[in-house]
Amino acid sequence: MENIKVSVDLNKCVGSQLCIMFSPTVFERDGNGQSKIVNRNGANLAEMLSTAEQCPQCAIKVENTQTGEVLFPPPELAF
Amino acid sequence: METISLNDDLMAPNVISDPHGYYRTLREAEPIHWNARWGGWVLTGYNEVVEVLRDSLNFSSDRMGFLAQELTQEEQESIAPIFKILSYWMVFRDPPEHTALRMLLNKHFTPIAIERYRPMVRKIVQKTLDKVLSKGKIDFVKDFAYEVPMTVILELIGAPDLDTEKIKEWSEKLGVFFFIKADEPRRREIACEGINALVDYITPLIEQKRERPGIDLISLLLSAEEAGSITANDVLATCVLLVFGGHETTMNLIANGTMAFINHPDQWDKFQKNPDLLKKAVEELLRYDGSVKSTVRWAKEDTQVGNTLIKKGDRILVSLSGANRDPQQFTDPDGLNIERNPNLHVAFAHGIHVCLGASLARMEVEEAFAGLISRIQCPELVEGAQLEYYPSVVHRAIKELPVYIKPLIK
Repeated sequence: MENIKVSVDLNKCVGSQLCIMFSPTVFERDGNGQSKIVNRNGANLAEMLSTAEQCPQCAIKVENTQTGEVLFPPPELAF
Repeated sequence: METISLNDDLMAPNVISDPHGYYRTLREAEPIHWNARWGGWVLTGYNEVVEVLRDSLNFSSDRMGFLAQELTQEEQESIAPIFKILSYWMVFRDPPEHTALRMLLNKHFTPIAIERYRPMVRKIVQKTLDKVLSKGKIDFVKDFAYEVPMTVILELIGAPDLDTEKIKEWSEKLGVFFFIKADEPRRREIACEGINALVDYITPLIEQKRERPGIDLISLLLSAEEAGSITANDVLATCVLLVFGGHETTMNLIANGTMAFINHPDQWDKFQKNPDLLKKAVEELLRYDGSVKSTVRWAKEDTQVGNTLIKKGDRILVSLSGANRDPQQFTDPDGLNIERNPNLHVAFAHGIHVCLGASLARMEVEEAFAGLISRIQCPELVEGAQLEYYPSVVHRAIKELPVYIKPLIK
């Protein structure tokens, strides 16, 4: 995905593996049982946003690198 | 194994009244402790707790499967109604069975999905505040903390008219089975009465939804059953789980959070002056005195945790309260700091079984405290009040919280 950055905030990730269940081509478990991105092109933007929504911690951030816009999570959900 | 002088009675009155003190002693002595009385490991260190919770390959949640191995055929038959339902509860299942149900339900419990209930919760909070303010002296548990979560869960399952008093009574009976009163000789009978009553009450509701589906969770489960992705047993068991698990824990969060503020009025003042701290404050209340103190896992294989080898088949009490006060993870862990950040607590557990209702609980607790700080002064305990907690290893549940409620003078 061009101009799209996806990241996992390890200060938030609780290892629910929901992102792995919903987008197994993109996410995997790291050595601490948290999520890591193994293939950022493994899903299109729509799937990536829908997977990011599944995270109970809002730990997955999706950004447009060209405009700087945060596509997920919306500011009112971030804690 | 080294023997140290630790009290292994997890139901001792001082352990129930002050679990944090008990788990601190345990963590400082042995963060992985063999409790001979219970016959299992008790984990109280953050790293150890997180390691086990995030490792569903080596640590099972199949409570009923492991229980069946411990019981004789006759004992199993004596609690057949419980097996019939609880074996299908998502919380007690491992992948792959767990995965399908979790993926199905999770979509309806995401932080975004539950936002639609926020206006309703805000209204309930305001209405309840009107009532308690007119009284002045209340039992905070019954008069405030109970109202919000019960109404919300009934709305979610699309049955706002269910008899909440009955559900509460039957849920308490079922809870005897694994939450409290391990010394109650009739605990299995009582729990069977509870589950039978819940099943009898909920089954006709499911049938109604089958005939006239709505936009509620029961209808959603039924459409998944029709599509073949889950079974009729899953539907019934999940409905019981939602009703049983959907209100009490959140009620206790609101009550425990209020108790935390009563003991830390400076944090209440700070919160009242800075309502923008709401989300961080709620996370801190969850960490400081959450409503679920512990959860249980079973080792599927011999597995090393820290320096300890946990043998296949061993059971493990994973202390969420213990981990949440570990000084290796949290600075000044016994202090309440509503600005704490980061705050990767384990109040909702970690790993694949992280609480399905976490976002819903967060939103409800946020709305409860946003309402409280906007309208009342920090509640004051009624003089001479003796606080008692239910004797449970799992729940941190205060019986009554008698307080004075005074309006905020702006």
